[in-house]
Amino acid sequence: MTTTSKSTSRKLTIARAMAEAMAQEMRLDPRVFVMGEDVGPLGGVFGNTRGLFEEFGAERVRDTPISETAFIGAAVGAASDGMRPIVELMFVDFFGVCMDAIYNLMAKNTYFSGGKVKVPLVLMTSTGGGYSDAGQHSQCLYGTFAHLPGMKVVAPSNAYDAKGLMTAAIRDDNPVVFMYHKSLQGMGWLGTEKGATVPVPEESYTVEIGKAAVVREGHDVTLASLAAGVHHCLRAAKILEEGGFSAEVVDLRSLVPLDRETLRESVAKTGRLIVVDEDYHSYGVSGEIIASVAEYSGCRLKAAPQRVAYPDIPIPFAPTMEQWALPNADKVVAAFHEMMKENRGENS
Amino acid sequence: MTSDIRVPEDLWEGDTEGVITAWLVDDGATVAQGDLIAEMMVEKAQYEIEAPVSGRLVIAKEEDEVVAKGAVIATVET
Repeated sequence: MTTTSKSTSRKLTIARAMAEAMAQEMRLDPRVFVMGEDVGPLGGVFGNTRGLFEEFGAERVRDTPISETAFIGAAVGAASDGMRPIVELMFVDFFGVCMDAIYNLMAKNTYFSGGKVKVPLVLMTSTGGGYSDAGQHSQCLYGTFAHLPGMKVVAPSNAYDAKGLMTAAIRDDNPVVFMYHKSLQGMGWLGTEKGATVPVPEESYTVEIGKAAVVREGHDVTLASLAAGVHHCLRAAKILEEGGFSAEVVDLRSLVPLDRETLRESVAKTGRLIVVDEDYHSYGVSGEIIASVAEYSGCRLKAAPQRVAYPDIPIPFAPTMEQWALPNADKVVAAFHEMMKENRGENS
Repeated sequence: MTSDIRVPEDLWEGDTEGVITAWLVDDGATVAQGDLIAEMMVEKAQYEIEAPVSGRLVIAKEEDEVVAKGAVIATVET
């Protein structure tokens, strides 16, 4: 579904960037196929398989019945037998019914076979809330997947990274969980994040899985996040700049492998760390990031690290309650000022 | 010469208003006739807007703006 264009600045939404990466790999490699609920003629409820059914047909773009257990199990089998499936778990919240296929089969088959069986499967799944879809359709669950060994986990914040990470994921011989945040898809009813729709080259390219990106340089504090959180951090950095503070923003891009080096280098420079995560506060990504920095003796922290994460409650439906619970730029700015108060206390 | 880019009257059924969800080119960019330049949404369905002529694009309606059929959302200087 390459959107050919002679425009001087062709931009894509993440949804289109994902579809373009899949289409280009499907043209190159007949083993690549797509499977999931409504990925066919509808083009995916989040728009990320638009155009694939029309180009590649029902054999390679397969609409499945509503049984994640069956079709993700089938995808693991196909991948173990030489195919390269891209399978969609429509909402990450649905993982409960198919987790055995994911973490007992997909993630472990390569280890159990002593490396004889490869499982080159891409499991793409939507994350995140903000549009009142309540507690079974709004979670991020980054930490849940990143915690379990045997699979790579990526989460892009913009269309350039989405295309490059998707291409890298399809070419990877290991299972990759590709987590895309709904508010970044450019689908309107899920929220609009302009910063996610960026210029994307038409030719194929990869973004290395396991490399974070410093998307804004600064020296007073490191704001580390992923997916939609990166945009909250960038807005917070702008507000802080108006107050005379310079924030560095690290886009993790990949949770497994986690680029601890880039994180540590950044915090070694700034001495302060705020982690922004739309996943639950406890036992998750934010704790892992802070531990990764604290374990490293090269980071002399000027203040205790902070996290702006989702409270440990199921996600509420009521818009006012959901918006209260979500991370945003103001919360990041407030966390920074709390941190600076603590500094002043120590110095006096 | 300047040409208007309007929301086509037949883009979706009925008289419901739509919203621009994404501009896929920058304001001031050069576009070619037939290029996909914007996406619109009506009741969770996505619709595409193509450049009717080649030239320099000037955006008139930003993302998140609600527009009716026939509304001018941009102009192209040819």
